[in-house]
Amino acid sequence: MPSLPQLIEEDIRELNGALGELLRHSEATAALVIDKGGFLITQGGESEQFDLTTIAALAAASFAATETIATLVSETTFTSIYQQGESSSLFVANVDEYCLLTVIFPATVSVGAVKYFAARTIGLIAAQLAAAKERAPGSGFDLSAMNLADPTPLFRMKTA
Amino acid sequence: MAIINQAAKELQVKIVYYGPALGGKTTNLVQVHEHVQTAQGNKGKLVSLATSSDRTLFFDFLPIEAMAIKGFKTKFQLYTVPGQVIYNTTRQLVLRGVDGIVFVADSQYEKMEENLKSFANLEENLKAQHLNLADIPYVLQYNKRDLPNAAPVEYMDFLLNNREAQAPSFTASAHQCQGVFETLNMITRLLLHKFVTESGRKAA
Repeated sequence: MPSLPQLIEEDIRELNGALGELLRHSEATAALVIDKGGFLITQGGESEQFDLTTIAALAAASFAATETIATLVSETTFTSIYQQGESSSLFVANVDEYCLLTVIFPATVSVGAVKYFAARTIGLIAAQLAAAKERAPGSGFDLSAMNLADPTPLFRMKTA
Repeated sequence: MAIINQAAKELQVKIVYYGPALGGKTTNLVQVHEHVQTAQGNKGKLVSLATSSDRTLFFDFLPIEAMAIKGFKTKFQLYTVPGQVIYNTTRQLVLRGVDGIVFVADSQYEKMEENLKSFANLEENLKAQHLNLADIPYVLQYNKRDLPNAAPVEYMDFLLNNREAQAPSFTASAHQCQGVFETLNMITRLLLHKFVTESGRKAA
């Protein structure tokens, strides 16, 4: 299994700071850092109105499909996708090998502005994730506390 | 690839249900979604990207949470792949970042060739991502046991589970919710066990 990237409070604080700056400058509604496997890493903005877990999974899949289309048209990759809506739009951009930045913004906001401010955010996120990866894995997280001998199933069926 | 978020005290892992077309992968997720006992808010929506005739086009997705490790919220993201042979590119995309696999085999005699091809396809697609099945926790589910033409479990084990390290296998009738939770609980347990081992190795 690939190594486990561990994000500590400092990472999340830095990522949230970068997202906050992007939201202030671009007037976007919400911004998400997501893993290309579909996991939501962190988010900022007015996120409670959205089902972010599902948005993260679908945005990652959509971006993955787009990357594959790029290779089919002899492009190395498409670095971002943009979905224009009537009231809200979506911008998904590549951060690094593992992560994406997703921005939800009002359709009245120019995508050009979002792209412009996102460029700096992407740099900040990539740098923080690189720092997290460099950090000693396994530090401060003791999974051995889990009782594997515990026979209790994690998931149970509802009783009638 | 699982994500551990120390700040939010959560662990996120991805489990993919793989197998031949019409084998019951989506049915497994539907049954988990309908019957799982969870605290409010711990079960997300079941999202299906399917064709108009309800065949999986891209994937099904179901997020569920549990308190697997004391103090840590564990988010399991369950995905299915489209079983139809032509959708191989899509299967490769869904396998990205996979942590654990449930291979749902169809127990009917006439489906054995499809089971074998799908299993070989899984191994190929993992290799394309520089992954090896031997390094990934996986379980086998022999589904559709309620059908009269179901092959004996020993025969299915011989065909699909004949490796040096045998994977846990479960019989199931997913549409009756039999074997569904046993399979899910085993893959989650294997996954967490793997994390403990990995974590111990790194800490050493």
